[in-house]
Amino acid sequence: MQVEQQYGSKGLGLLTRESGLFLKNSFGSLFSREFIKVLIPLLVLWEVIPRFDILPRTLAPTLSDVALAFWDMVVNKGLFLHILYSLAKFLAGLLIAVLTAIPIGIFMGWNLSIRKHALPLFQMLAPIPPPAWVPLTIIIFGIGLPMQIFLIFLGAFYPILFNTYQAIKDTDPRYLSSARVFGASELTLICNIYFWNALGAIIMSVKTGVAIALVMLVIAEMYGGRSGIGYLLVEAKDFFQIPAMVVCMLVLGIIGWFSIELLKFAELKLALWKVGR
Amino acid sequence: MEGGKMIEARRISKFFSIVNKDGIAEGLTACMSVTLSIEKGKIITLLGPSGCGKSTFLEILAGLQAPTEGEVYIDGVRVLEPLPSTRAEMETYRKKYRFLSPLANDLFRDRPKHDIAMIFQDYAVFPWMTVLQNVTFTLKLRGLPRSEREKQALFYLNKVGLGASVNKYPSQLSGGMRQRLAFARALSVEPKAILMDEPFAAVDVLTREHLQDDLLKLWESSGITIVMVTHDVAEATYLSDEIIIFSPSPGTIRNRFKIDVPRPRRRDDPDLADIEVRISKLLKYDVDNECEYSI
Ligand SMILES: Nc1ncnc2c1ncn2[C@@H]1O[C@H](COP(=O)(O)OP(=O)(O)O)[C@@H](O)[C@H]1O
Ligand SMILES: [Mg+2]
Repeated sequence: MQVEQQYGSKGLGLLTRESGLFLKNSFGSLFSREFIKVLIPLLVLWEVIPRFDILPRTLAPTLSDVALAFWDMVVNKGLFLHILYSLAKFLAGLLIAVLTAIPIGIFMGWNLSIRKHALPLFQMLAPIPPPAWVPLTIIIFGIGLPMQIFLIFLGAFYPILFNTYQAIKDTDPRYLSSARVFGASELTLICNIYFWNALGAIIMSVKTGVAIALVMLVIAEMYGGRSGIGYLLVEAKDFFQIPAMVVCMLVLGIIGWFSIELLKFAELKLALWKVGR
Repeated sequence: MEGGKMIEARRISKFFSIVNKDGIAEGLTACMSVTLSIEKGKIITLLGPSGCGKSTFLEILAGLQAPTEGEVYIDGVRVLEPLPSTRAEMETYRKKYRFLSPLANDLFRDRPKHDIAMIFQDYAVFPWMTVLQNVTFTLKLRGLPRSEREKQALFYLNKVGLGASVNKYPSQLSGGMRQRLAFARALSVEPKAILMDEPFAAVDVLTREHLQDDLLKLWESSGITIVMVTHDVAEATYLSDEIIIFSPSPGTIRNRFKIDVPRPRRRDDPDLADIEVRISKLLKYDVDNECEYSI
């Protein structure tokens, strides 16, 4: 009853409250009293040190240089559009990885025969560092969107696959037995027992996947294409625009942080049953 | 509560092959030729030191494990119907389940094998479902139409005293309440028999006595057959009509005690205490002998 009251209100109000809650939970730490005490001196030092030539200003841009570069990129280079491109590729690659790795992981964890047929293949391919795939991928897909999305997918695929598989395999047999006694079919077990039992681990694995996919996003964009943050980064390097490079790096950091926090929030919402354990 | 056999186990044996610590495969006999028939409406307890195959035997009764040898019948129906071996058998099997193969049948269709419920030690209620969902899920498995599930679930939850916490998650319940939830889940499908594997082992003594009395009340009002595994001799004597004593390596029935003390019983009944002492002695003898072997 209480739960219903809490989540009962519909629509816009709910959305604003949930997103407010999300922002507060995730990024509130940035503005906590404790961190402000660290943040402000840091920003001041950042501004001051290059100005007094303790570090050469050409190599270490000040805060205001970076801010100006940011504004310049927004106005002249369409920074936000590039961010959007990067995000779209990132999400596409991640989504494909999630949609393939989770089912394969579930089937491998569920059935011994499937596991024995499929697992060695993945065990052999997984240790290849994803960046090592770049040359082959470029030859096969050419330079462009498919190659970039494939590389991002590759980064996220294996961590999700292996963690999902492991979690499914380790499902407590008593949960399975107590459903089987009542006549559950294997399909029901997969949908109602295995999956939910492993959900926490699956979300964890997507977090790992996000981290590696982000690495692959930058690599993919640096190697080819004319869009995205990675592309801006390489361009800035070619023209020796250090402030622009710093802007790109910060943007990437924020994308990573944001996606991890989004997953944590999803975990909190989905795994309601674990709260208070 | 009229007579007749509810559960019949005929010469059940179960062998496991295990790998010992030297990496050599060896055989392990969990149950050896156990024959047991249980009358309708009785409470039977299986007692014995741990590792003597009680849980394995119970899971075989439930159809969760196939016995290496022997057959189990519940209310006259064979548990774990053997897969068809001849072409003719296969045809009848297909007609019966209207599916292409027995395998596909098990994969996609919820189908109770027979009419029992089982309660596990540590409850095994699903932590990702609310109290209510835990019960409606099992009712769904038993094919109850959607409209009736919630009504029936609430009826049984109220019966075990969980009516006020239907929307809570099991993690928000105490150990005793989780056990009650497991009871409600088992009772809600209105089974002919309930198998319980050390149902009270994980709750404190006071709660345990409370739950035992509740169990007796539920049993008296429904007339279900109950088969229970326990470590606790006092619990066994207080609850059961008959106590089956298992002895280890290989697990087999060693003794049977009928308990004719009329119900309702008192915990401090001298007759019960007498039986308890005799059984304890017997068990202790078993354990002592076991120690001599291993030294
Ligand atoms: N799946 C299994 N594989 C191998 N050995 C098992 C398995 N299940 C049970 N056993 C063994 O069978 C014996 C009986 O186990 P169990 O039925 O759990 O005993 P109890 O419930 O009486 O304590 C134990 O020695 C245990 O190690
Ligand atoms: Mg046991």
